[in-house]
Amino acid sequence: MSQTTISVANVSKFYGEVLGVNRVTAEIQPGLTGLVGPNGSGKSTLMHLLCGLLRPTRGHLSVLGVPTNQPETLFRLVGYCTQYDSFPNGSTGYNFLLHTLALHGFSRVDADRRTWEVLERVGLTEAAKRRIAGYSKGMRQRIKLAQAICHDPRVLVLDEPLNGLDPMGRAEMIDLFKEYARDGRHVIVSSHILHEVDLISDGVIMIHGGSVVAEGSIRDVRGEITAQPLQILVRCDRPHVVAARAFELDHVVEARIVDEATGVLLRTTDASSFFPALAKIILATGVEVETVIPADENVHAVYDYLIGDGGGGP
Amino acid sequence: MSRGWPLWRRQITVLAWQEIGRSLFSKRSLAVYLLAAMPIALALLRALFLPDSQRSHPGHTTTEFAQVFHFFLLRFIVFFSAALIFVKLFRGEILERSLHYHLLAPVRREVLAVGKYIGGLLASVAILGSTVVLTIVLFYLPHGSGGLAHLISASGLGELFAYLVTTVLACAAYGALFLLAGLFFKNPMVPAVLFLGWEVLTPFLPGFLKVLSVVHYLGSLEPVPISQGPFALMAQPVPGWLAVVALLAISGGLLALGAWKARGLEITYSTE
Repeated sequence: MSQTTISVANVSKFYGEVLGVNRVTAEIQPGLTGLVGPNGSGKSTLMHLLCGLLRPTRGHLSVLGVPTNQPETLFRLVGYCTQYDSFPNGSTGYNFLLHTLALHGFSRVDADRRTWEVLERVGLTEAAKRRIAGYSKGMRQRIKLAQAICHDPRVLVLDEPLNGLDPMGRAEMIDLFKEYARDGRHVIVSSHILHEVDLISDGVIMIHGGSVVAEGSIRDVRGEITAQPLQILVRCDRPHVVAARAFELDHVVEARIVDEATGVLLRTTDASSFFPALAKIILATGVEVETVIPADENVHAVYDYLIGDGGGGP
Repeated sequence: MSRGWPLWRRQITVLAWQEIGRSLFSKRSLAVYLLAAMPIALALLRALFLPDSQRSHPGHTTTEFAQVFHFFLLRFIVFFSAALIFVKLFRGEILERSLHYHLLAPVRREVLAVGKYIGGLLASVAILGSTVVLTIVLFYLPHGSGGLAHLISASGLGELFAYLVTTVLACAAYGALFLLAGLFFKNPMVPAVLFLGWEVLTPFLPGFLKVLSVVHYLGSLEPVPISQGPFALMAQPVPGWLAVVALLAISGGLLALGAWKARGLEITYSTE
């Protein structure tokens, strides 16, 4: 068992006869990993399995070498922000975190200090002594995040963590996730807002109908989808010239002028031949190129190709 | 940060204090307080309306209280109070969808079960022990100085102590049973009522079946023997020490079973 990765080996989970996830195998490296899939695809089941809240029907999971049925060791490493918008009755934000830290074994003084630090980190210092039941949706989301990070975990599992946050809050939390990932920690984020996943993730796990349909970096996953021609956007001063020349290439199946004639969108079935050919066209025509970017090397496009219907994101 | 036993002790303390707070001060504890107030109200009414002719005979009160303790306090008040307190230790949190916070802490599930149980036990003993003391005081109060003299005499204090020990052990045994019921059943009140039926039937059961009830052992600890009625089947009384050992063994066994069940606990709120 690797001490640095999260390992999911042939894991299945059935709720009676209902399938949760089926034969999932994944090796999650440090960094920010997006878990995407439609509602009911098995994202939360997989996260619950990773955090030992569910036991697999078949297969084996370990987090940094720790089997998920050992809570005493596992939750020193893992922080989990669940999708459940519920809290212990009558808790204030302060008590909620203090209690969590006390269970982690922190002394009263250390727990108190950490509680205030984390409350400040998530911007809830002012509301610390208020009952969570009176918090807004965004504040409840923040206190859940605080609970997940209060013991400084090496693995952060976040189920729809940006739900209910205002744009400023989203930006702050995304910064926090990125900071964790930069530290070499694991951050696994599920979200149905694909452009956000795209913005923050180093890699993705796409799940559909309980099965993993793709896993890896966005570029690698996109590269594997050979049935869909790669889209490349070339922004330049004479897009129609590039379009005409590129269309002469066998592997270019579409060339479309876009954005009020400031660019051309090309679709090719052979990415490796395309880029040298494009360089020749540019040199030969003297076109001034501003940018050349893959137009569908993102989570949204990959999701569309593999799962369809755009995932409901904006 | 501590590990091993020191950590478990600390975690049990944290969990127990949290449960004590919830059991004593939350809205849900209102039903327990109402139950616990019933014998006190009964004793108060008795104190107010006791005929003058009986006020000078505290001896009869000893038997009267023994019957109230056995048939009302123990079988009804302690039983249902324990059900309300201990069932919610796990089931209540499952219904509130907040149990996962405990399962996301680095706490062994066995430690979680023990911590919650101890919290529930201390809270139930605090409430029901107070009820027993207040009820017995109110029973002897109408008898004036004679009643109070009996209460603070060696035999009076001995009786009080025996009733308190019986109450504590009743809370321990019924508590463990209801914690387990809360882990196994979505509606633990159904098995609770069935078990109450079994307890009520105990006096009429043959000896080899009596040993499967809790009230059989509790009855052996009560300081004043009471009649179980003309249809009760007599059995060899259980020695006090054996009754204590049996009740502790029942509590420990049920708690161990609860801890084992807690080990395999999964969070599937949507199916609860």
